[in-house]
Amino acid sequence: MSDPVYFEDVRIGHVERFGRYEVTKEEIVEYARQFDPQPFHLDEAAATESLFGGLIASGWHTGAMLIRMIADHFAVRNATSGAVGFDDLRWVQPVRPGDVLSAETTFVDKTESRSRRAIGTVRVATRVLNQRDEPVMTLTSLVLFQRRSGA
Amino acid sequence: MRYFEDVRLGETDVVGSHTMTEAEILAFARKYDPQPFHTDPEAARASLFGGLIASGWHTCAIMMRLSVEAMRREAAASAGSPGVDSCRWLKPVRPGDTLTLRREVLETWPSRSRPIGFVKSRVEMVNQRGETALSLVGITMLHRRPEAPA
Repeated sequence: MSDPVYFEDVRIGHVERFGRYEVTKEEIVEYARQFDPQPFHLDEAAATESLFGGLIASGWHTGAMLIRMIADHFAVRNATSGAVGFDDLRWVQPVRPGDVLSAETTFVDKTESRSRRAIGTVRVATRVLNQRDEPVMTLTSLVLFQRRSGA
Repeated sequence: MRYFEDVRLGETDVVGSHTMTEAEILAFARKYDPQPFHTDPEAARASLFGGLIASGWHTCAIMMRLSVEAMRREAAASAGSPGVDSCRWLKPVRPGDTLTLRREVLETWPSRSRPIGFVKSRVEMVNQRGETALSLVGITMLHRRPEAPA
């Protein structure tokens, strides 16, 4: 495998598309039972009566599916140490059983840490897309990258 | 039923609390966030974090669970959420930590097109040492109180 991308190597404007996550009814219900037990995430009949017109995934479940794609693809290519958080998260469209999700990241800007020489923060515009290439969730992630010079 | 009209600007409450176990931290991370500092106690000790920590998305999931339980108790007329303006994972969450959810209403406004209203809140998960581990500003939607029949 090639060298990971360190903070110094991050090219602003660089875009990557990765991951493939098949959304199943079983997993939507399993996540909802544990973490977000609202009728439109749990029960097909109740969901059909709701604003959403059918069973939809918890928005936080879409976030969890995103971080799975990040962990499997993005975090293995980049020298990351987790994230500080995120800004401007929007659940743009419902995620339904049978949807196939992927992720797209764009490096927006980067800032060296003043207190910790070994790391820097990169703002990453992140989109989760469905099989029709429609965004279902968008956010700006604040990702910690290790510095080559700090190693 | 608690409708949009019942929400008061500036109101604060303590919504509930949850103690994180190592088993649930590992189970969430193995399914959704398999990075060594979330899935491998040994590797986590050698990491920046000095020990196993919960995925930030797991802390958000627990926040949601506590929020849904509160909405049930209040019989809130919930209509979901359009998003989160900001979220910061300020302190690592470790096995044995007890997180307490606090909520403050920052802003409310009615929808112009639908019979719902928006509520912007600051939500914090505070650990047993009083440190804020998670701080977010999120927006939720509540149904409007139906007009009383004339």
